[in-house]
Amino acid sequence: MILTTEMIQLFAVVLAKDCEPVTETLLREGVMQFINISELENVKPKSLSEIKSDISLTKISDLRKRIEGFLFAGGVIPPAPRETDLNKRAVVNIEKENAFLDKMAGELESIRERQRVLQQEIHKLEDIKRQVELYGIGISDITLKAKHSFIAMQIGKLPAMNVKQLEDALQDLPSLNVALGQEDDMSHHLLISMKRDNEQINKILSKVGWSKVELPGELRSVRKDVFNELTTKLQTLAAEQKKAGMKVHDLMEKEQKRLSEIWINIRINELLLKIQENFASSSRTVIFTGWLPSSKKNRLTRKIRQACEDRCYLEWNQAGSLGVIGDEVPVRLDNPKVFAPFQMLVSNFGIPQYGTIDPTPFVMPIYLTMFGLMFADLGQGLILAFLGALGAYFLRNNEQKQGSRNLSWLVVWCGCSSIFFGALFGSFFGIGLFPPLWFDYHGIIAGHSAHNSAINSVVDILSITIYFGISVIALGLLFNWINIIREKKWIELVFDKGGILGGWIYGGGIYIVFYLTSHNYKEVPPDIMIFLLVGLPALLLFIKEPYHYFKHQEGQSEKKFNVTAIPNFFMGWIVELLEIFSGYLSNTLSFMRVAGLGMAHVCLMISFFTIAEMTSGFKSIVILVLGNILVISLEGLSAGIQALRLNYYEFFTKFFHGTGKLYTPISLSSSYK
Amino acid sequence: MAGPLSKYSFINAKLRARISKILPEDMFEELAKSPSLEAALVLLRDTPFAKLEEIYSTTGDLKQAELELLRSEIELYRNIKQYLHRNSIELVDALLSQFEIDNLRNAIRIYFDRKIRKRAGDTGIHYILYDRIIHDIPIDIIINAESFEEIAAACGGTPYNQIIMKYYHTVESEGSLFRMEIAFDHYYYKNLLASIDKLDRRDRAIAMRLVGVEIDLQNINWIIRFKNFYDLPLEAVLAAIVPGGFNLDIAVMEELYVAQNVTSVLQGFVKSKYPGLSALLSSHTSDSTSRLLLIRRILEEIMKQEIHRILAGYPFTIGIILSYFVLKRNELKKIRTILNAKYYRIEQERIESML
Repeated sequence: MILTTEMIQLFAVVLAKDCEPVTETLLREGVMQFINISELENVKPKSLSEIKSDISLTKISDLRKRIEGFLFAGGVIPPAPRETDLNKRAVVNIEKENAFLDKMAGELESIRERQRVLQQEIHKLEDIKRQVELYGIGISDITLKAKHSFIAMQIGKLPAMNVKQLEDALQDLPSLNVALGQEDDMSHHLLISMKRDNEQINKILSKVGWSKVELPGELRSVRKDVFNELTTKLQTLAAEQKKAGMKVHDLMEKEQKRLSEIWINIRINELLLKIQENFASSSRTVIFTGWLPSSKKNRLTRKIRQACEDRCYLEWNQAGSLGVIGDEVPVRLDNPKVFAPFQMLVSNFGIPQYGTIDPTPFVMPIYLTMFGLMFADLGQGLILAFLGALGAYFLRNNEQKQGSRNLSWLVVWCGCSSIFFGALFGSFFGIGLFPPLWFDYHGIIAGHSAHNSAINSVVDILSITIYFGISVIALGLLFNWINIIREKKWIELVFDKGGILGGWIYGGGIYIVFYLTSHNYKEVPPDIMIFLLVGLPALLLFIKEPYHYFKHQEGQSEKKFNVTAIPNFFMGWIVELLEIFSGYLSNTLSFMRVAGLGMAHVCLMISFFTIAEMTSGFKSIVILVLGNILVISLEGLSAGIQALRLNYYEFFTKFFHGTGKLYTPISLSSSYK
Repeated sequence: MAGPLSKYSFINAKLRARISKILPEDMFEELAKSPSLEAALVLLRDTPFAKLEEIYSTTGDLKQAELELLRSEIELYRNIKQYLHRNSIELVDALLSQFEIDNLRNAIRIYFDRKIRKRAGDTGIHYILYDRIIHDIPIDIIINAESFEEIAAACGGTPYNQIIMKYYHTVESEGSLFRMEIAFDHYYYKNLLASIDKLDRRDRAIAMRLVGVEIDLQNINWIIRFKNFYDLPLEAVLAAIVPGGFNLDIAVMEELYVAQNVTSVLQGFVKSKYPGLSALLSSHTSDSTSRLLLIRRILEEIMKQEIHRILAGYPFTIGIILSYFVLKRNELKKIRTILNAKYYRIEQERIESML
């Protein structure tokens, strides 16, 4: 948990006839991150070739994506295949599946076309409706007020038998045809169209035997509101559109089972091909290599042997040993689930190098302490925790939103930290509702501290954060030393900025500052002490530049020492010292922001209470509620960001390089996006 | 007078954050590879373009989704405008006018098809913007107009009135909107260059460089069209060229239009200003159109390099705003191209060549 998981490399040779069962076993176990042997030019013997498959990986991936297109259109996100699905695996018939998908695509296309046509109808009516809205309605009286109207309206009659013909002919034009009634075999209609289409409309009307009439007396009483008619028609079309959309859903629902089955089978075959893509084969054997956690070694050995009935050669190499193929060891961060939000913060910065310290378990307490010190309030913490829990609850089954889920959990943790520190400082929505367990933060800032604890002033609060900062930096230095020792880089251990000499200077500097403050800034430590604490390590650092100079000259006999290098040694030394002194000083002082933000939080709450006191009753409650909302959202965000920043720049930079490569084995649950 | 820091520090931070959200190249590769339109839309689900899938699945109308893209692009300019110093607002307005001009052009085309070409039932009417972009232009009147005079009158009080009045006789006599469209382009760039002139020295130099490359690209696009679709005499081509190009002036354009070996014309400036692109010039192309397409590719690469230069350089200039617009425009253009290509089932290789 503290170090990255120990990895081991497997180099395996199996008989070609056992290739399939072994591949299946590897997928079932899902623990190997393969190394593509074909890409390792120096390692691969010329006699080896890639495994030839009957189906290409590209074709199978395309087929999968095509199915996903259909499934997603029906709102279905296929779940990862299970082990039982692997047992039911069948050979993929690309042509057959494509033919099935083509048929579905045809059906889908016709639905989409219907939707498109309906949309065109909607557009046409909306065009008229917009005109009506823009240039006056007055439509109940069948007159238009505005001179700019582009709508042409006419009442006429036509033989009832020609109504269908009229409706068909008007389909391509924006128009509204309202039946007003029937007189004998003549049908009376109100026709609304666009003036710009008059030429075509007149042609159509003359074809269907339209004759203009005044509104018949008996129909005058029928006061049709055309605007309502338009709205109704639009609603009908919208309903039809929705129905067409549902047809897509129905189609997908009808075929969902089959699509899902095909998808799972294809996905399994795709994963098997992906595994085999990394294999190399000779005429009778297949070789493969890759990394897995050491703890999985015995199980995988057993499973591979079972799969090929012991007809195999397995060679295991620890990371760093001579037999290892490739340079990079993948990194697996093995932390309990509870650390997931903090592992997300670490991965966001980078992946630790293999064999170094995984800071996740330390980030959790450090981050939460910083957050709590900046945002200490029991009530506001409860709200944060509740909001985070709400997010985590709603995202609990959504694998696609894992990042958001982790973020929600982070909010829950931050809320808990606020509750804890709120209890320590006795703050509940900015009110001192209960006695503080540690000290009265609000009282100190407001200037009415109870003087009942060791912390009585703003300076004391600042000191807490400085002590905290020193501890975090010291921890970072310790981790750096551990990492360097593990890598056996002894010179770096001594001379690195975060090495022993750097740490010595930092420790010495801290002692001198504390000595000064404890003597009221009137006395410095004895000279010999200052020399031993800071001077000696600073002098020893001078060795670094010449050491590197002569080390790089090694083996280059023709190159001789040049005196001009001496000023460079001095310059390098001075710059290094400056960097160490200013760097450590600023890193430590940077932690004062924790106190700064904590004070800002208290000050904001005091301000809102002061404003609320200026009013009374309901208004004051509103001010306090709004104030709390503002503080929770603004201060919560700002405390979260500052805590992250301190972790990244003051803690991580001491030991964490973030250049590792994450362990991503091929398994049934591998992401397909 | 406001200094560059106060003018650009906020917008610089904001736009850099937004630039990091622009879809990466491998996403477009994935989109181009996706086996169907549905699959491509699925890929856009977790991006800011998720709405496209929603619109397409409710209407079955890809053009409707494209209209949404256009709206969001216009909104982008408006949104940025509110964070800008007044000196830069005029430039953004000038850039925004390209959408107004395009919209007006589309409206005039609808009128032209109906009235002059006598084509009925243009569905383009439904994919036009009726809202105000910069000026109050009653698009309804233009679409429903009976004459160009009516259109010009509707555009009264806008700079487009004069252009329409000046060119409509030619349009009617030639039966083509070509001259009027060229005039709109000229107006757009003239206005843009004028707004650049009002910027301070550093901003002016950066904007001139970037807009100059864009003018080069625009001119090359016109020349490709002239070569392929119009049989125009050289004088007419030169008259259509937009002045203000950064790398290609009128003389180079003339050479490009008539020369057989067009790449040699470009060698001079490519080798001196963009040595990294010299390799592109050695590509062997068979016909003149392919060569011009190659030049367009080179110019697009130049644009990318210019943007890279701006983003890596001094941050508090107008460059960050212009770069953002160019990057965003390219992103939207690529999405449009891919979705349309998927809709019409164009092969992956062709889509990739179109990007």
